[in-house]
Amino acid sequence: MTSASPQWKLAVDVERCIGCHACSVACKVENNVPLGRFRTKVYYWEHGKFPKVTRNFLPTLCMQCEDAPCLKACPTKAIIRKSDGIVRVDPDLCDHENKCSDACPYGAIGCDENDIADKCDFCSHRLEAGMDPACVETCPADVFHFGDANEPASKYSMFMKRFGSETKVLKPEEKTKPSVAYRGHTVEMEKKIPKGRVHDPYSYEIETWAQLEAEFPRGKRVRWLKPV
Amino acid sequence: MQPEVMGRVERRPAAADPQTSETRRSLIKRGLAALPSLALGETILLSPDDSFAASSGQLYGQRKAQRRPNGKGRLKNDYSKAKLVRSVCLNCSTVCGIEAYVINDKVVKVGGNPDDPNNGLTLCAKGQSGPTIEGYPERLLYPLKRVGARGSGQWQRVSWDEAYTQIAKRIRTAIDMGKPEEVAIHIGRSRIGTEMNRFLSAIGSPSLFNHRALCSSNKRASNYVCLGETDWESVDAERCKYFLNFGSNFYEAHQGAIHVARRIVKGRYDNGAKLVTFDVRLSNTAGRSDEWLAPNPGSEGAIALGMAHAIMDAGQYDREFLEKWCNVGPEQLHRWLKDRGYTPQWAATLSGLEAADIRRLALEFAAQRPRCAAFTNRGSGAHYNGFNNDRAVIMLNAITGSIGVEGGYCYGTEPGVAMGRLLPDVGLRPPPVKAKSAIENPPEWPLANRWQRMKVGQIVYEYLKQGRGKCQVYMSYTLAAPTTWPEGRSLAVDVLKNEKLIEFHVCSDIVYSETAHYADLIIPDASYFERWGFDNRNNLELRDYVSLRQPIVAPPGECISFVDSMIEIAKRVGPDVSKYLPFKNHEDWVRQRSKALDPLVGGDGFEHLKSKGVFVDMRKGKSYRMFDRDLSANELKDTRVDPLTNIIYRKTASAEAGVGIMMDGKAKHGFPTPSRKFSVSSDEVAQAAKEVNWPDVGWPDYIPVPSIQMMKPHHLHLVSFKWNVHTQGRTAQQKYLTEIVHHNPLWINTDTAARYGIRSGDLVEITTWRAPAHALKMPTEGAVGSAVVPAFVTEGIHPRVIAMSNSLGQQYHGRAATAKRGTADPSASPAFDRQLIEEDADLAEDLWWDPRRGGTGAGYNINAILPIYPTPLVGMQGWYDAICSIRKV
Repeated sequence: MTSASPQWKLAVDVERCIGCHACSVACKVENNVPLGRFRTKVYYWEHGKFPKVTRNFLPTLCMQCEDAPCLKACPTKAIIRKSDGIVRVDPDLCDHENKCSDACPYGAIGCDENDIADKCDFCSHRLEAGMDPACVETCPADVFHFGDANEPASKYSMFMKRFGSETKVLKPEEKTKPSVAYRGHTVEMEKKIPKGRVHDPYSYEIETWAQLEAEFPRGKRVRWLKPV
Repeated sequence: MQPEVMGRVERRPAAADPQTSETRRSLIKRGLAALPSLALGETILLSPDDSFAASSGQLYGQRKAQRRPNGKGRLKNDYSKAKLVRSVCLNCSTVCGIEAYVINDKVVKVGGNPDDPNNGLTLCAKGQSGPTIEGYPERLLYPLKRVGARGSGQWQRVSWDEAYTQIAKRIRTAIDMGKPEEVAIHIGRSRIGTEMNRFLSAIGSPSLFNHRALCSSNKRASNYVCLGETDWESVDAERCKYFLNFGSNFYEAHQGAIHVARRIVKGRYDNGAKLVTFDVRLSNTAGRSDEWLAPNPGSEGAIALGMAHAIMDAGQYDREFLEKWCNVGPEQLHRWLKDRGYTPQWAATLSGLEAADIRRLALEFAAQRPRCAAFTNRGSGAHYNGFNNDRAVIMLNAITGSIGVEGGYCYGTEPGVAMGRLLPDVGLRPPPVKAKSAIENPPEWPLANRWQRMKVGQIVYEYLKQGRGKCQVYMSYTLAAPTTWPEGRSLAVDVLKNEKLIEFHVCSDIVYSETAHYADLIIPDASYFERWGFDNRNNLELRDYVSLRQPIVAPPGECISFVDSMIEIAKRVGPDVSKYLPFKNHEDWVRQRSKALDPLVGGDGFEHLKSKGVFVDMRKGKSYRMFDRDLSANELKDTRVDPLTNIIYRKTASAEAGVGIMMDGKAKHGFPTPSRKFSVSSDEVAQAAKEVNWPDVGWPDYIPVPSIQMMKPHHLHLVSFKWNVHTQGRTAQQKYLTEIVHHNPLWINTDTAARYGIRSGDLVEITTWRAPAHALKMPTEGAVGSAVVPAFVTEGIHPRVIAMSNSLGQQYHGRAATAKRGTADPSASPAFDRQLIEEDADLAEDLWWDPRRGGTGAGYNINAILPIYPTPLVGMQGWYDAICSIRKV
């Protein structure tokens, strides 16, 4: 269901998430995302003392901020936010200076010396073909409620009508006006999302499940290089 | 064979490589990287993947090959050009319907088949990873014949004709010697069991070895004993109000995971259901349950019995169901529970849980009756006492009257039966096999093959070693036994290497696996994206259905699907065999079987399946309360009613078979058990037990596990588990899955670790011990094995239990599985044939978990040191009964 001028929005119902990574893998296959990079990532947090232990999940992706810091930071004006609400990178303007990565509080965008900035654009090419984003379509737990905010019958609008008052945004203190809404997420987990650099692959390792910091030893950090 | 494919094999000029230019025909090529460029007759050395050179510690990122023409930004899938093909996933055994998007003859993406009743549009991470198999640069592309000693990894490329002829000759010899049972197929996961059975039956061999006893045979046997109808329940989760989950990790592990998970999520968040999970480890399911309880391993049945006692004491049971439909009435059941002393307090002592919790949860559960379901899986079933544990759990559903009702413990027609009804096999069928095999049907486990041929897979190698059988021709099919079998690295490998026990080993696979390494002939299979087959599972929408697996793309190189190979081999064995496989190829077979659907779809059944991917039989309503169904006049023909039991029998040629039961004057289907009622007690089980001198009186009594009984204070339980992104042995080579999980340290409880002075990352030596077991005689002196592995200290595990996942630690399967980043060593191999399969720069350059650049590596194989430990009667592997001692290294 889409209106004449769609406004693409997403609400994430975290309580339902089963941590299955289907969204992450669907995204990587759909967008040929290289190893070591992630447009979407599911964070795990295990906490409590045996036998009262809980595990929480937090699926993350680009927040498509209304006041996008990446957009403002880009020296070549390669990042644009159109009226449909999606923040996109113009591949012909990007000069991979990586200022966007430094500016993003959500680890959601990053350049390397090798190519243009990489980020979630709600699978815009799928939207054009009348399909949902890859993560949304495959989710077995109905975590992602995606659609046109201008269309009252869209899944997004229906969800927000019912649960909108219970939703929050991640890291509201960053004041970037994220357009992705979260319901039922564990606020402490926001600390797991890196600020000023892209998601680190090491945050998938089991040893990080109980920690809330997004920092890793320097030797473990992935570095990017231009091919010789 | 296939000259057109051979003709496509182009090679790079050898001049670029001085070491190989002169003597390339005689030189043995090294490593998997050389596989795609192997010419007929050329030899190759395949050993653990050491041929990939390490590269620098940095990553390269985005690929040139996938960029827009001006080199800036990646190309995106143009779905306006996509062809859609429906088929069935096989990246795990859950067999979800899929819809593949094909652009320029490449599978660029898969989604769920919206018409599949179980999964709809959704797929798990493994399903989504499917397309990476198609671009897998280490695919086997040609038949290979061993040229060195077995297991030395030296291979020569041969033609299909030579491969078929060699296999056929060996099979002919076995038949002519009067030993057809010495022709065996050993499968990991096939979904072509009908075809394999037919091929073997045509030869006269019963020897189809499988892995059901390593997977789920206790759960299946328990459902058969209780319900009679089927091996796998279909909990009506969306309408349920209370789930008692005994050790099932449906949020992560197949089989049926996503089908169950998505409905339980709906049940919980849209229907207000409560989920209680018993598991020794905090799985994702346990971690997201309303309550997680970590009982002592092997006490799951005791907990269920204690709960049953509490419910009966409180009078919170369904009197009508027990009196009418259960072969044990409420008073008799209550008395048995009391006489045996199965109180919540007793269960608390065995399980380490609080009696008050057991009672409270039991009464909460019963208060929601009949919209409540208690169910099992590996956590309860993969124990020496799992057959009893699972029956005790299923009994809770009978007590609360949730059997077959909306929101309860439902079930439908067994998938195999539904398949046979909708798509009966065609053509001249081979006669019943007369030859016997003690490996396929070991008499020590009389219930292993009672309801379906579940077999006792973990004893195959031990029985070969003991001389209980022999294999003149051993055909392994997508089997990773050295990795996935208990004691695989020792016993399985020893036997696979032994040319007296296994005279000739043909391996069919798509990758060079550890099993392939010990073969004499490797025949490259088509992947599940490239072949035919019917499939189905228990349908959680409670209707019969079938789905069609069809080629989405053509197989690369000379890969041929195994069923096509079997048809070709049968032709060469002789007309006495090939007459039972009267098909041009697998497609022809599938097409002929599909005809049965013509009247049901009002057209061409084959075309219907090809376009929809699935056929759901909507003629009947949902299979709620199957037992309460009225028998038709046709079903009542030639029957009599036994005056004592009210059971309706029909005379057959040899004996009488129960077909139903009279209930309140009406002829009902009932439960297809001997009593035609839900069976808490089973004379059949008691009788089977008597035959093998096992003290089981047919009730779901608690039986202690010998290994656990012999535990000393310093011993710990060692259990294994599956990750949500992996199967046990067949996903580690898929880069996006292994990127998420490639590292499997040993889970150990914080307090326990403190006692040993162990911190996360420390190395721990685990030594496992064998306990005596009924039926299986293996020496119990000395250790089974030792392993040194890193520890992961966590609150999410029972203090007496340590746990390690069973999916990792591969020695073969290519770079993602073995964490070896880099390109092929140019001195050992010419370039890849990029027309056939492209190099994957991700594996060459960006495999960040390679330990040589500081990554955590490819993990450890724990199955190697888990002892073979079959359950009495049924034979399921007691995976979770291993006991061990540990020390900090």
